[in-house]
Amino acid sequence: MRKILLIIRREYIVRVRTKAFVIFTMLMPLLVGVVVVLPSKLLMMQSGGTKHIVIVAADGTLANAMKSELSASSASVDDEAVPADRKKPGKPEFDVSVRTAPTEALRQQLTTQVRDGKLDGFAWIEADAVSTRRAIYYSRNAGDFIEASLVSRALRFALSERQLADHGFSAAETKSLLGPVALDSVHIDRQGANQSNGLGAVFLPYLLLAAIYATVLIYGLYVMRSVIEEKSSRVVEVLLGSVTPMQLMSGKIIGVGAVGLTQIGIWAAASAILGTGSIAMAHRVVGENMKDAHISTASLMLFPVFFILGYATYACLYAAIGAIVNSDEEAQQLQFPVTLPLVLCMVFAAAIIRDPNTPLAFWLSMFPLTSPIIMYVRVAVSMPPVWQIATSVAISLASLYGLVWLTSRIYRVGILMYGKRPTLAEILKWIRYA
Amino acid sequence: MAFTLELDHVTKAFDEFVAVDNLSFNIAEGEIFGLLGPNGAGKTSSIRMMIGIMVPDRGAVRVFGEPMTRRLLDRVGYLPEERGLYKKMKIMENLVFFAQLKGIGVAEANRRAHRWLERLELGNRSNARIEELSKGMQQKVQFIAAVIHEPDFMILDEPFSGLDPASSLVLKDALLDLKKQGKTILFSTHRMDTVERLCDSICLVNHGRSVLLGGLREIKASYGRSSVQLEYEGELPLLGDPSLVASSNDFGNYVELRLAPGADPQHLLEVAMRSAKIRKFEVVEPSLEEIFIDVVGSTRAVISHA
Repeated sequence: MRKILLIIRREYIVRVRTKAFVIFTMLMPLLVGVVVVLPSKLLMMQSGGTKHIVIVAADGTLANAMKSELSASSASVDDEAVPADRKKPGKPEFDVSVRTAPTEALRQQLTTQVRDGKLDGFAWIEADAVSTRRAIYYSRNAGDFIEASLVSRALRFALSERQLADHGFSAAETKSLLGPVALDSVHIDRQGANQSNGLGAVFLPYLLLAAIYATVLIYGLYVMRSVIEEKSSRVVEVLLGSVTPMQLMSGKIIGVGAVGLTQIGIWAAASAILGTGSIAMAHRVVGENMKDAHISTASLMLFPVFFILGYATYACLYAAIGAIVNSDEEAQQLQFPVTLPLVLCMVFAAAIIRDPNTPLAFWLSMFPLTSPIIMYVRVAVSMPPVWQIATSVAISLASLYGLVWLTSRIYRVGILMYGKRPTLAEILKWIRYA
Repeated sequence: MAFTLELDHVTKAFDEFVAVDNLSFNIAEGEIFGLLGPNGAGKTSSIRMMIGIMVPDRGAVRVFGEPMTRRLLDRVGYLPEERGLYKKMKIMENLVFFAQLKGIGVAEANRRAHRWLERLELGNRSNARIEELSKGMQQKVQFIAAVIHEPDFMILDEPFSGLDPASSLVLKDALLDLKKQGKTILFSTHRMDTVERLCDSICLVNHGRSVLLGGLREIKASYGRSSVQLEYEGELPLLGDPSLVASSNDFGNYVELRLAPGADPQHLLEVAMRSAKIRKFEVVEPSLEEIFIDVVGSTRAVISHA
């Protein structure tokens, strides 16, 4: 046991003090930040900034109603449920001026201004607009549907207001009639009702999926590389004069795993500190749908559990591969079949996040090579029955036990074999060696 | 007599290939023992069984008089033929790590490592990474890693490979010191000349079998003064004459040869003088290399791996 601890400690210290670890630890949150923030910045650049438009209408009241609606419009395009006072980036602000003398000369003049870029667009509203509910919007960029639809909505609002007033409704009544409605969606799972919904429920599981996938894969591969390094530098020969192959392999897997947990811990701590800010950021970017999105305590608590299960499973397999091969190049061909189930997890994840309770999701969350990832995704989307989680974990542990037995036998023989890569038949023979 | 190591009819096969075939020998406490033979003769497999990396198919290995168990390994030091150190770690880190694996405390390991580095003229490099060192320096570090826990039994596989003559000398003195302290040393090598000067006993293995075993002095004596060393200029066609020469190792102007049974060294000298100018003629005990060639029956076995 003391020797395993020494192996663990060496593996841990050597890895944690590398530049790669420090950089990866700092870069990952940065990367996530960039991925989250960049799209909104791009959106801002495209349609963002202040739009200068002109509303031309003989009817000044109508034009002013449009103007005030446009100025207030920063809510999402089609979602009137969202109160207009919630501003967010990606939606243009409007600087609107009103002209009440529609002449052909003015139309020519404004057209020139739009063409020259001095103006973003202008709306031309004929006197009969109230009955025809029709107007023309001139702009340089007909593809900017956000801009056009905001103008169209403002017009619809102004026209409705006018018609309601004509039918004798008071200003207050009109405001109430045309005001937004609030639609809160309630997500029902087995724990009861949860104030959460669509986008948030998809976005966060994806984030967690990416996190568990990346850590399992990266740290699994670290184990493989460590085995290859010890084998090719012949250190293993010296080590085996002091420790058993089993001690060496388990010490290595635990040591590298501890590095992984350390990294996850740092990320968790960092996001706890920066969390408020980044979640607010995510809200603004992804939309109001995010406002109720949250990572449940269960999915946070279970992350280390499923990381450990997934990591241990793949670390064993990668350790065996490392023992079989002589170099990183050789390893690359062999690691594909082992990595395949992990990649399949990612492929199926989209379907499983959409519907976490299909038979496919169930069986994948029971199959040992996919269960740690898929079961965790299911946990992140909506809590599956406890018996399913328990069964999945139990199957994982049982298969892990068998896997350790199997791979340690391959490892034990493989690390002392140099030269030609063994065939499958030879590897099977290794497993049977006493 | 107490034995540090006993191999008792040990056999190890990998599928069809028999690496070690019914091998038996004992190493007495405090002696330097040479395990000799060409590569592929079964030396490495034998050693791996001595340190429990491999388990024999048949036969028994006893260390310090007890059946081999891993518990005994803390008293055994092992220097593998190929350097095995963590290249990215510093010399001291490597040494302390390996010492700790053998149960030595950090402070003590540090102290011993420094002392050994001084002795092997690496004292000023203790903070260098292994990858920055020359092969010879790495070999020295490897040696320290094998002896830092002061084992009673050291297994050294080609300890002098990669060392320049000066370093070899330093290492040889260190080995003799260890012997004086009563440690037992097993040498595995195919370089007969070093063995000849250091070893008390040898075991020659070929194709997994022991072909010659015993005290070096006795072995040599048993061959008698039946060898001739000749320095010459010219041609020596007599080397091909089986009535005079049993075997020979010709270097062009120097030859070591074994007389054919019954051949007279005086007669050989006469014949030699007819075809070449003889600078030196000496009748001696055979060198280990000659004995090896004689026993194995072909020079190729030696030369192919030299």
